[in-house]
Order: sequence, then C-alpha cells, then structure tokens
Amino acid sequence: MVDYLIGAVGDIPEGMGRAFQAGRRTVAVFKSKGKFFALSNRCAHRGASLCDGELSDNGTVVRCPWHNWPYDLATGEHRLDPKEKQRSFPVRVEGDRIIISI
Amino acid sequence: MNEALQGNNFYFEKAASVQPDPINPKLRTMEVIDTDFHFTPGWPIIRDYLTEPFKSRIFHYPATGLEYNPEPANEKPGVGQDTHGIAQTGADVLKVLDQFAVDTVILNPGYNRPQSIFNEPVLAAISSAHNDYLIDKVFPVSDRIRANMMVCHRDPHMAAAEIRRVGHHKQFAGVFTEFSALYEQLGNAKFDPIFDAMQQHGLVLTAHSGGFFPHFSPLWNGARTWIELFGNAPIGNCMAHLAAMIVQGLFDKYPEQKILFQEGGMWWLPDFMLRMDDFYLGSGGDIALVERKLASGERYLHKVPSEYVLSNVRFSTQPITIPKNQKHFSWLLELCHAKDLFCYSSDWPHQTLDPANWVVENPASIDEDLQKAILSGNSRKLYGNRL
Ligand code: FES
Repeated sequence: MVDYLIGAVGDIPEGMGRAFQAGRRTVAVFKSKGKFFALSNRCAHRGASLCDGELSDNGTVVRCPWHNWPYDLATGEHRLDPKEKQRSFPVRVEGDRIIISI
Repeated sequence: MNEALQGNNFYFEKAASVQPDPINPKLRTMEVIDTDFHFTPGWPIIRDYLTEPFKSRIFHYPATGLEYNPEPANEKPGVGQDTHGIAQTGADVLKVLDQFAVDTVILNPGYNRPQSIFNEPVLAAISSAHNDYLIDKVFPVSDRIRANMMVCHRDPHMAAAEIRRVGHHKQFAGVFTEFSALYEQLGNAKFDPIFDAMQQHGLVLTAHSGGFFPHFSPLWNGARTWIELFGNAPIGNCMAHLAAMIVQGLFDKYPEQKILFQEGGMWWLPDFMLRMDDFYLGSGGDIALVERKLASGERYLHKVPSEYVLSNVRFSTQPITIPKNQKHFSWLLELCHAKDLFCYSSDWPHQTLDPANWVVENPASIDEDLQKAILSGNSRKLYGNRL
C-alpha cells in the first residue's frame, strides 16, 4: 500500500467529488456529510468520470453522470447489483490532510 | 509527477488534482460520425420562423404530450431527455461535438416534439419553422453539421410537401420519422407520398423510436416502468415497422431507398431475418394482396426478406448493450452484420447517451476495420454526398 496525500480537508466541498492522479490510478474522492470516500474514477459501465457524479440516497451513493448507475460510496458496489463494483480505497484524515491508501 | 513528501511519522506521495477526459483519446484520432443527436431550439426561436397564419395564432409551444420518466422515484433528477444539456444553436452543437470527439453530426429534431403535437397542420408549420431555422442559422455555422428534416409524417402529403420544399439543401441528410406502437407501420403504402418525394433527393429515412406520450396503445397502456417503455417497447415496435417495409413491398417499389432505424435495438436481427425468410418461403401467398403488389401486378417480393435488410436497412448503435463475454459480443456483431449495417450514434443529450468509447475499447470483438466501419465508414456509404 502506498499513501497518497490528496490535499487539505477544505479542498473538496461538501457533497462534491474531485479526481486525483495517484500513481497510475485516477481516483475520485468525495466528501459526504463531513466524511471522505475514494473510488476508482472511471465508471465500470462505459468509462465516465465518477468525480462528476452527484451524490444521492442521503449522501451514501454517487450517481454516474452518464447513465446514472448508483455506486455505494463506502464499498463501491452498485446498489442494484453488487457484482458491478468500482474499486474503493481507504481514506483517512490526519490533522487537516486527506490521505488515501492504494 | 507525484512528489514524495514527509508527514509527521510517515512518507507519502502527493496526488495531483486532475480533470480526466472520459472520452477515449483514440477517438480523437479517428473520424467519428454521430447519426442521432437531438437538437431542440426553444419556442422563441421556432416562433420567429413560423409563417402566417400560425405565427399570429400560436402563443406557446404546443407540446402537450405527457412525458413519462422514472424521475419521481429517483432522488437525483435528470433521467430522461435533456439529461446532458440542451442544444439550440450551431455553437451549442459544436461544443458538444468537441467534448465527445465527434467530427460530423446529423441532428434530429427535439425528441418528443413531432410525436406530441396532435394538430397536424400545426405540426407541419412547426416543422417548416424548425427546418428554416436550421437553414438560416445553424447550417452556416459549420459543415460538420447535417440534419434530418422535421416533417409531419402522420400526414404523408404534408410531409412530402416539406421534403420537396427543403430537400435540395445539401445539409439535410435525411428525413426524421418515428416508429412506435401508436403509428401505423412506416412500410404501409399510405406513406408512399413521403417515399416518392424522397426519391427526388436521394434522402435517407430515419425511423427513430418514439410515440410513448401519452400511452394510447392497448399493450403499452399496461406498462408502469421506464424499463418497459424505453428498454423493451422499441424492440418490438421496430420489428413491426421493418417487417411491413419488407413484406409490403416498399423496397421493391423504391429499391434505392435506405432506412436508418434508431433506438430499436438490433441483437434481435438474426432471428428476425431467419424467421421472415421462413414465413415468406412457406406462406408468402398474400403478399400478392398488399397495395403495392396490387398496383404493380407482381405476386411476390423480388428477393427473400433478409436480403432487403442487407441492401436497404441500417441501424444506429445507441443504446448498444455489450455482453461481458467478448466471444459472445463478436458473435452478435457478426450475426447482425455490424460491418455493413451499424452506424454509430450517441443520442445526446438523453440519459441513455452512448459516447463512442465502446467502439474502441473492445478490440477483441471490434478490430480496426470494424471500428472504422461503425464510427464513420457505414454512415459515409449510407449518406453518400449528403455527408
Ligand atoms: S458510464 Fe457510468 S453509468 Fe454508464
């Protein structure tokens, strides 16, 4: 596992996603109700950028901007079929810093 | 490049903030033609181009059909039409083309407008206004823009008059019509005035799935879900319209006429072709009784039904479904004659949008030649000098 510094807690607005290049991976990091979540950015369906998706289901899901697939922020699983899964990555906050592990 | 940093008790890499382009970069090196893009100029624009007596008698856009979508049951709105935006000008169109790596586009008139205007003379007048706006303000913006003209296809004589009026304009690539369970099959001889007019200009007929709002078809009155109305209904409706075109002799009367079906699916095609041929060879007797054969004196078709699919019919690809097993995908593409019949489409801006990534991201099933055929080659052959 490699730790990547994403940025400061204030860099990602509440309810939004941002994409980061962490080594070879492009990761979408979301802030929902004060907590941070990280999923691989490229949607498993047809390749949209999940960082541009909107949060729904009381902030527990990101909806893909192209075809609306709902992915659980915590697990990366599609809400209707867990076999359709985005990779998810552990996120922690240390002081003011967001760090993900890949 | 990621930078190594030292934290309080550990080392970590710095991740760079990025704005990924979800469009596969290979598409920017290839020619891409989009055969289904919905262009929806608003009422103030259309009204400007109306002629009298309509201009002074219509005050609002007369789109009165109900729109069904699952939005009431979705926390996040935006499923359905206009999910990805609204294009009302040539500049709007070019911006989207650049975003999605499309070189040339064929615009369709705004999705639910033709079908939801009940009054046919009003629909014909709005169609003319739409077409005149294209000619006046949109086509001059770029040669990358083509369009299917809007007509009132439910009245074939009105539609034919519009085709004759504007069909000479080279940026009209074809004529937009809709197939659904609410309309008589486009293959019926009552539509011959449309096909007569199209022959003069060599235009392609686009038959796009439509006609859901409101539900008047007894079968689909029982539907309750978006999945039924948009996922399922167009498949059967498409087959019904295509079958009529073939067995009612449309292509015998108009052998050069090309049809592009949109959003009716295509993986059903192998069964359709085999089944139509089988029924024709065993039970083709009553073909002698269809209007066109009564008029021509012929008793049978000129060839078996499946051959007309290959010679006269094409399918735009959106919304394509892709099996996870690449071998199955290859088989489907081969059985459906994708190398000759499939023309890429996006359906922008609707929720079932298909950016062209899938064409270049399945090389085990779609080799370089097939990629080129789907993205542009088949459309170029279909539209000839209209593209
Ligand atoms: S690309 Fe994400 S839902 Fe289709």
